[in-house]
Amino acid sequence: MIKYEATVTGVGPLVSEFTQAGILVLFRQGAPEEVAEFAILHDGQTLHSPLAAGDQIQLGAETFQILAVGEVANSNLAALGHLVLKFNGQTSPELPGDVCVENRPLPTIAAGMNLKIVA
Amino acid sequence: MAEEKKYKRVRIKKGPKGWGGPLVVDCKPGRDLIYSVTGGGIHPLAAKIAELTGGRPFDGFKSKADFHEIAVAIIDCGGTARVGVYPMKKVLTVDIYPTSPSGPLMRFITEEFFVSGVRIDDLEVLD
Repeated sequence: MIKYEATVTGVGPLVSEFTQAGILVLFRQGAPEEVAEFAILHDGQTLHSPLAAGDQIQLGAETFQILAVGEVANSNLAALGHLVLKFNGQTSPELPGDVCVENRPLPTIAAGMNLKIVA
Repeated sequence: MAEEKKYKRVRIKKGPKGWGGPLVVDCKPGRDLIYSVTGGGIHPLAAKIAELTGGRPFDGFKSKADFHEIAVAIIDCGGTARVGVYPMKKVLTVDIYPTSPSGPLMRFITEEFFVSGVRIDDLEVLD
């Protein structure tokens, strides 16, 4: 089942502040500029079903297993297209907004790339 | 001449399990936006801060404002991104969630600019 689908529309100039820490921050396009600077922007609209540990996120050609979902992560994604992906291998979220995935090198994100989250 | 607008200062303290503050929101002409950067439109806490201060509620996802127009930003941040963005810009920041400094921008998150876990009960009109 597809839970969320989007195409990357832009990559903010300060994204490396977060990628250096193993974090990707996503927001739906239309986010305020000061937030968009740090974010990967996309055109995703509807969260069809809440994310849960065990789901998979596809970023371009790579797939990562979702290991933990923080308590406010689903409302962030549904309301703002906002997702904080931490590539840290943690099975319990450190912060309420976190979505933790496998501890692997971050994929390089570029406009036009597809993002899909599936159960 | 337009009627002079009367603003009131409002003190915002941290809620249970919250961090930082207290902050004092002091609206001025030209810097009176109560800037809600939250899901689902203007957050009820932002609406209340606007009511108490006499500032103008503003939805950061709907319209654009300059930082010098913002009296206070209200966020519903789960701890990583927005918690740092507004303090970095020297904008007073209120997180409705009880977050503590964290994330790559945590060096900007200080008690002077940030308070969290805030509820309507944590607001106090000073004058």
